[in-house]
Amino acid sequence: MLKIQEVKTLVETGKAKKIQAIVQEALDAGCPAQEILNAMIDSMGVVGDKFSAGEIFVPEMLIAAKSMAKGVEILKPVMSGDTSSSLGTCIIGTVAGDLHDIGKNLVSMMIESAGFDLVDLGVDVPAQRFVDAVNENKNVVLVACSGLLTTTMPALKEAVQTIKAALPEMKVIVGGAPVTPDYAAEIGADGYAPDAGSAGVKAKELVN
Amino acid sequence: MVDIKKIQAERTKLFDDVNDSIIPKRVPVNIFLGIEPTAQYAGIDLAEAQWNPGMLEDAGDKICQTVFSDSIPFMPYMRSPALYTPLKAQSFVMGSNGFMQHPEVMGMEADEYDYLIEKPYDCLIEKVIPRHYKAVNSQEPFNTMLSFAKGLLGKNDSLMAGAGIMMKLVAKYGYRQMGLNGGGAEAPFDFIADQLRGFTGISMDIRRCPEKLQDACEAVYPIVKKMGTPLIVDDYSSVMYPLHMPTFMREKDFAKYWWPSFLKLCEDHASAGIRTSVFCEDNWMRYLDYLQDLPSNTQLTFEYGDPKIIKEKLGNKHIISGLYPISYLKNKSKQECIDLAKEYIDILAPGGKYIFALDKVPLVLDDFNMENLCAVTETVRDYGVYSNPGEQVGTVFKKEDYQAQSCRSIDSKYYQSFEQRQLENPKASGTELQKLQQLEEQLFAFVANLLM
Repeated sequence: MLKIQEVKTLVETGKAKKIQAIVQEALDAGCPAQEILNAMIDSMGVVGDKFSAGEIFVPEMLIAAKSMAKGVEILKPVMSGDTSSSLGTCIIGTVAGDLHDIGKNLVSMMIESAGFDLVDLGVDVPAQRFVDAVNENKNVVLVACSGLLTTTMPALKEAVQTIKAALPEMKVIVGGAPVTPDYAAEIGADGYAPDAGSAGVKAKELVN
Repeated sequence: MVDIKKIQAERTKLFDDVNDSIIPKRVPVNIFLGIEPTAQYAGIDLAEAQWNPGMLEDAGDKICQTVFSDSIPFMPYMRSPALYTPLKAQSFVMGSNGFMQHPEVMGMEADEYDYLIEKPYDCLIEKVIPRHYKAVNSQEPFNTMLSFAKGLLGKNDSLMAGAGIMMKLVAKYGYRQMGLNGGGAEAPFDFIADQLRGFTGISMDIRRCPEKLQDACEAVYPIVKKMGTPLIVDDYSSVMYPLHMPTFMREKDFAKYWWPSFLKLCEDHASAGIRTSVFCEDNWMRYLDYLQDLPSNTQLTFEYGDPKIIKEKLGNKHIISGLYPISYLKNKSKQECIDLAKEYIDILAPGGKYIFALDKVPLVLDDFNMENLCAVTETVRDYGVYSNPGEQVGTVFKKEDYQAQSCRSIDSKYYQSFEQRQLENPKASGTELQKLQQLEEQLFAFVANLLM
């Protein structure tokens, strides 16, 4: 239990250099890998909340995510083949006409840290490409569409509507500087997150 | 008959008064639309206009006839594809809809900090520019040479076309006079973030190698200082800085790594009589006390924030601008927009040192309602009239209040100073040396332009 607590602290404080040894120690002490992973996911939830509340900023969130990724490297061989640990696959991309990816990359990191497998389609993604990606990948439960420019708001709408027309049950989350909750609802998205910190929480909410 | 020269002199004086800590006749209005909304307003294909800015002259004229502003309301400044396409730019790319965009590109790897610190300009030329511009390739020297020349010619061509339109419109409508007394640069930390390490890279570096980052800010300092220095220094010369990274950082890091080199830069320029103008991106409310330390009469254009607190804290020393939310112009009624403009004037105009501007430049026509914009700027013109023009207020900008601090020179095999050239060519005439130096400076400005 103490080791698990230590893992949590190392994720929250972003100690990437130390975490692998402690995760290994936790495994050696008999802690189940799933329990360690859940602890790290919980920690990233705390990190996301603190980011949304303005208590920590991008560097702190990044090093926390990096720390978790390092810890997961140790868990992966132990958990290989265990699909029950994943919340499912999330397809993410910046919509057509928009070449920006800083925000999308931060959101990717937080969604992955929340327990999803991630397929990143990159930037300037045509609406149909989101649908194709859902069909090409296994266990897709969520599509996340990002847009930074006001000029690409229509492309965001087109992406959501194309996904919903082809896959009515698929959950879609949107975000980006010009996006508001009202706009997200208006274009038919299931969810909206104002920042990367809350994106992971919202993603989990949508699929649970 | 309307005396355009007189109108221009009056408009110019509004801004000069604000800069001189004098209450102007009325609140100056500083609104401008870029080529995107202007092209849309005139029904011109945007991609075409990006390549041929000359076709925007009538469109710009139409904006001038429609929107009231004391400075020219049409700014054909652009990131020209004529510059970026021949150089195969990665960080300034035209999207499928004709918009020039700025995707994140990492120009420098984390393990290259030592080289940046040792030879900053060499590092920019050898490492960063080839990553941003794929046509600059040491394996293809002849193609590189030709691409570089095409980019330079393309940039100059677009610049001349845009400047020509602006000069015509300024003269035709009597807008505030413009000159070559303005410069633009980035804070040292932002320069490293924006063009070298990228947003994610630098955010990690703050934790991974903060001392190197600090040294790197000092290393690029002379380069960004030179980038920002205006061609002509007169009583109203200024350098404009868009401030990117601070709101993404915790205050402790900001105070230690971001702020010192920027403050030094502003004070150095101030000691030469060059004023500071900043655009505080995002919400700077937690940094107002730092802004208080900038040279007097710094023009602070805010995106978000509480106008009342900002005025109380900074209004005596600095010039406040921005804040009027463009979203209001899109979503509210004309009357609501007018009422808010009056509210802002009531808060920000007393005591002078206020220039009306929006919180951000409209990207597209759909960002705002043109009728509302016109109603707001006309309201500011009519409502923002002072009863005490000519009165001296607050602190005054004096270059004697500031002292230049020492910094390293641009020591690079890719840049030769006048003195170095003189030493190497003792028999060259002064005219010859000056001409060659002028070309050197033009190339430096072009390289700087590639990295901004």
